Amino acid sequence: MTAPATRAGAAPGAPVGIVGLGMTAMSLEPGGAPADLAAQAVTAALADAGLAKRDVDGLLVNTSQGVRPDRLSVALARQIGLGDLRLLEHLEIKGATTVAMVARAVLAIRAGMAETVVCVFADAPLQPGGTAGSTYAHSGGSDGVRGLERASGVLGSVPTYALMASRYLHVTGGTPEDLCAVAVSTRAWAVGNPDAVVRTPLDAEGYRASRMVATPLRVLDCARPVNGAAAVVVSGRPGQSGQPPVHVLGMGFDHPVRRRRAGGESWFGGGRRAADDALTMAGRRREDVDVRELYDPFSVVTLCLLEEYGFCAPGTAGAVARSGALGPGGDLPTNTGGGQLSGFYLQGMTPLVEAVTQLRGAGGDRQVPGVTTAFVGGIGGRIDHHAALVLDREAA
Amino acid sequence: MSTTVADVGEDWLLDPALAPNAHDPLLAPLYAGAARGELVLPSCGACGLALELEQRACDRCDSTDVVWAAVVPAGAVHSATTVHRRERGLVVATEPYPVVDVELDSGHRLVMTTLAPQRSAPAIGRAVRIGFRSVGGVAVPAAELSAAELSPVPPSDTEVTP
Ligand SMILES: [Zn+2]
Repeated sequence: MTAPATRAGAAPGAPVGIVGLGMTAMSLEPGGAPADLAAQAVTAALADAGLAKRDVDGLLVNTSQGVRPDRLSVALARQIGLGDLRLLEHLEIKGATTVAMVARAVLAIRAGMAETVVCVFADAPLQPGGTAGSTYAHSGGSDGVRGLERASGVLGSVPTYALMASRYLHVTGGTPEDLCAVAVSTRAWAVGNPDAVVRTPLDAEGYRASRMVATPLRVLDCARPVNGAAAVVVSGRPGQSGQPPVHVLGMGFDHPVRRRRAGGESWFGGGRRAADDALTMAGRRREDVDVRELYDPFSVVTLCLLEEYGFCAPGTAGAVARSGALGPGGDLPTNTGGGQLSGFYLQGMTPLVEAVTQLRGAGGDRQVPGVTTAFVGGIGGRIDHHAALVLDREAA
Repeated sequence: MSTTVADVGEDWLLDPALAPNAHDPLLAPLYAGAARGELVLPSCGACGLALELEQRACDRCDSTDVVWAAVVPAGAVHSATTVHRRERGLVVATEPYPVVDVELDSGHRLVMTTLAPQRSAPAIGRAVRIGFRSVGGVAVPAAELSAAELSPVPPSDTEVTP
């Protein structure tokens, strides 16, 4: 008599966790194909978890929508030498995809459809012969709304977010000092993060001296594109390396439809449900959250998301930022690795990597004391898609 | 019959390489209207609601009858930015240029630059008329600001200096 086949997934009642984390170096130089970078990150994540490729039965792939033809796909499973898989998908919700991958992995594991799932993001926008800004300015094509906007001088993503920032400051009565405060506090965190690509201390004077890209956004209000990759291992079983477990307690999504129509706001007033759902599932309140790791391609987005997710009352995030609350030693530590502004722009992996690092207590000079609960917010499009996680060091 | 350089026009802002695809199925009616000097945008054929450019069904009455028709070429600034980064080979202007998100009187929203060079962006709320630029021979909407309507240095373009 043979034993029934072992059921995949988590033991009943056991929390699903992030048991491995791996990254490449974050490079400001051209070089590296996305698949090669992804292979390095996956190898590092499995080593971090103390697992082998044969232990993996799921792979989820997230790639930039951006500027390269050689993007990752489900072919990555073959390219990086994984074996037969139960779960293999390429997810796409723009910048919200990383969080969506983790949620997808957790749900699959809970449903018994996989046991150990690797989630990976890789991108290499920096190419020989041009800056990242130049590469983005030349991409987008001549079709559709994008083609019309490009013919109107909207080159790359900065002008669109500059329109959002202008409107945000208009609606909230804020000033560029609000944006400055975000850039300065985020840099202060990056100083303590060896993986951050910009670590020189920054004050308001240095911010004001930086180059204007599109008013009110200066170059220091914009994310730093890098060539790099990051991967996490999500499993219903503990890792084998002794790393502290990081449990995924809550997940939530929100895709608000805000019409571009006269008489209303089209950028603000969405995403709250993602945060509410994630916190409710986790059984946590906002005041239980020790660190907020938010997708911050531009300084203004940090302010928007603090308000959208209910960590600041509407219109007050600028004042909160100017109080220093978001930075080291503040009451509302936010983007504690330097975010995408000063850390590195790996889309949704940037906030996820930092949340796991803080929950492990591995933050070194930028470690926030006593972190037990982290909130991760990922956005996509023009703040059109929201995905949130609540991660916790303790089981529920 | 050949097209003269004057007919093609020389845009003050962008290289002709940034001409949009005038035969793009989504926006062909807009470009055809613009070539006639008309601002043509989509509305619901059943209830008249102003629709977004990519919208295929009405969010008020569920009709899938999308009608492209000329609208009043006037509106107000919803948001604006002065773009300082000028990508070599794409931007021919030598000074920073405005990008404006306009709330049209018709209910639509549309992003455009200005009809003529402007060193700085207009203030939010300012009234604009809509005219047309030619980019590589394709007419596209552009915001027209009378000189009297422009403040010398709008707050949105204030260079913050200590
Ligand atoms: Zn209708």
